[in-house]
Amino acid sequence: MQKGITVEKILLECESKAQNLLPTLKKIGVVFGYVSKEDAMKVAEYFELSLARVYEVASFYDLIETKKTANLEIKVCSGGDCVLGDSTGIVHEIENYFRIKAGDENNPKVKLRKISCLGRCGEGPIMIVNGRVYEKVTRSSIYKILEEWA
Amino acid sequence: MQKNIKIITEYWGRIDPLKIEDYLNVGGYVALKKFIKEMNPGKALEEVKLSGLCGRGGAGFLTGKKWEMVAEQKSKEKYFICNLDESEPGVYKDRLIAENSPHLLLEGIIISTLTIGAKKACIYLNGNYEKAREILGQAISQALENNLLGKKILGSEFSLEVEIFSGAGAYVCGEETALINSIEGRRGEPKIRPPYPTECGLFGKPTAVNNAETIANIPYIIQNGGEKYLECATKLFVLGGSIKNRGVIEAPIGLMMREVIFELGGGMSAGKEFWFAQVGGAAGKLYLEKELDAPVLGSGAILVVDKLADIHDLLLSWTGFFRRESCGKCVPCREGTFRLNEIAERLADGEISDRDKEAVLDILWTLENTTFCPLGKFAAVAVRDAVEKLEILK
Ligand SMILES: Cc1cc2nc3c(=O)[nH]c(=O)nc-3n(C[C@H](O)[C@H](O)[C@H](O)COP(=O)(O)O)c2cc1C
Ligand code: SF4
Ligand code: FES
Repeated sequence: MQKGITVEKILLECESKAQNLLPTLKKIGVVFGYVSKEDAMKVAEYFELSLARVYEVASFYDLIETKKTANLEIKVCSGGDCVLGDSTGIVHEIENYFRIKAGDENNPKVKLRKISCLGRCGEGPIMIVNGRVYEKVTRSSIYKILEEWA
Repeated sequence: MQKNIKIITEYWGRIDPLKIEDYLNVGGYVALKKFIKEMNPGKALEEVKLSGLCGRGGAGFLTGKKWEMVAEQKSKEKYFICNLDESEPGVYKDRLIAENSPHLLLEGIIISTLTIGAKKACIYLNGNYEKAREILGQAISQALENNLLGKKILGSEFSLEVEIFSGAGAYVCGEETALINSIEGRRGEPKIRPPYPTECGLFGKPTAVNNAETIANIPYIIQNGGEKYLECATKLFVLGGSIKNRGVIEAPIGLMMREVIFELGGGMSAGKEFWFAQVGGAAGKLYLEKELDAPVLGSGAILVVDKLADIHDLLLSWTGFFRRESCGKCVPCREGTFRLNEIAERLADGEISDRDKEAVLDILWTLENTTFCPLGKFAAVAVRDAVEKLEILK
């Protein structure tokens, strides 16, 4: 989290027009990790839109979270190219290691998600841990990566 | 046909994308200067029509025709959108255009926008493309400093603003009406057409949406004429999977899949045997070895799959992708993609029932015939081919 930045500050930096809604929600996501209900209410008020309208946008996009993020957020690309490079095996390895299931959103400590292609197929398989991108990942190289975040 | 001409990738890796001087030194913005000093929008439109340029975003619509439809609209306000959402799995050619030749793309955007009679252009950029955003942002500032953009471009009466709008991760936003919704601050759901964006697009104004690769061809067409382009048009191919030369290559348009895979692509990676190729991303059809003597269709992505690959992993990849990316607006796609993915999971676990097998055919038919936007149809393509050509249900 960046120090001294508040939702109010982010809002005051942009003009209150619908075109700025998505960029603003993204910014809040970057600074606070997710867009909370309280923040969504502030956004709705500032943009003079209904809360439903703000929430339907916030919840639509992959790059905006509406739930508190886990301590460890792991994403593995499941596009065709990465899959041919064994990304499915990597997912299984992580599932077994943490005893979790990909797609389970309720664990506050670790979350594992299969995600869509990131357009870096040439460098795949791709894994993202807490926003940091790792290339050419293998079943065995994940342990060193996870250590960085332990 | 000239075999080795490069229109888009000529200077990749040879000039610094962060320096406008480098681009100017190799003849950059000469096309824009020609457009401003010797041509007018009408003449430019004629050249683009002559060139036969068709969209590189997948559908292959004639660019000249689209532009004419927008140019003919009476509205004073119009928009041009460069579609750089590029979320099709396996496709990253537009990202490389933005990162390696941002000024070529920008020059194309400027000429395109002025040709359709608009004063505002927007680049809808894939939300994951952070590096491209920086590079394009810098290119726009440099173009402004050099009066190639902004007010009274090169002393003419033309003015133009270009903005970058970053997406937030949603495949469906590559569809042009969903893309427009997304910029307007709504959910990125497709809208009913007609009216087409050419008539009623961004903020209700006539709008031309073009793929980034389509646009990158424009400077060449303006500089050398549409007829010349007709002789030497190229396409970017994105090669992936078990192929020797992985990556993006530029080659004459209309090449056969066999040539692209076994000549340009260098054939199979060491020790691998060809099983099938998926052409066009996750929404692409599957081709067996005997079917490769046909031109490459769609976005130009070719995923080469070898005989040892696990088809269940791929089925989960395709069906999982569409399950995640279905926007949920219509039931056949929202439910169909979900069920198809569940059945793929059971198939992978060896637990598929006869009822499942019947359901697959039902779901595929429903996706193919009843969904609101093309995404639903896309979701059926690879699975349909896997059923019919690879006999996954047998
Ligand atoms: C689900 C879906 C996703 C699409 N994604 C893209 C995309 O990422 N990039 C793109 O240029 N066109 C994409 N398109 C096609 C666009 O709707 C549009 O036809 C295209 O941008 C027009 O440009 P062109 O004529 O230059 O090809 C997509 C279409 C659909 C139905
Ligand atoms: S077909 Fe799928 S993506 Fe298209 S509108 Fe229906 S639910 Fe949305
Ligand atoms: S398939 Fe993983 S980055 Fe494209």
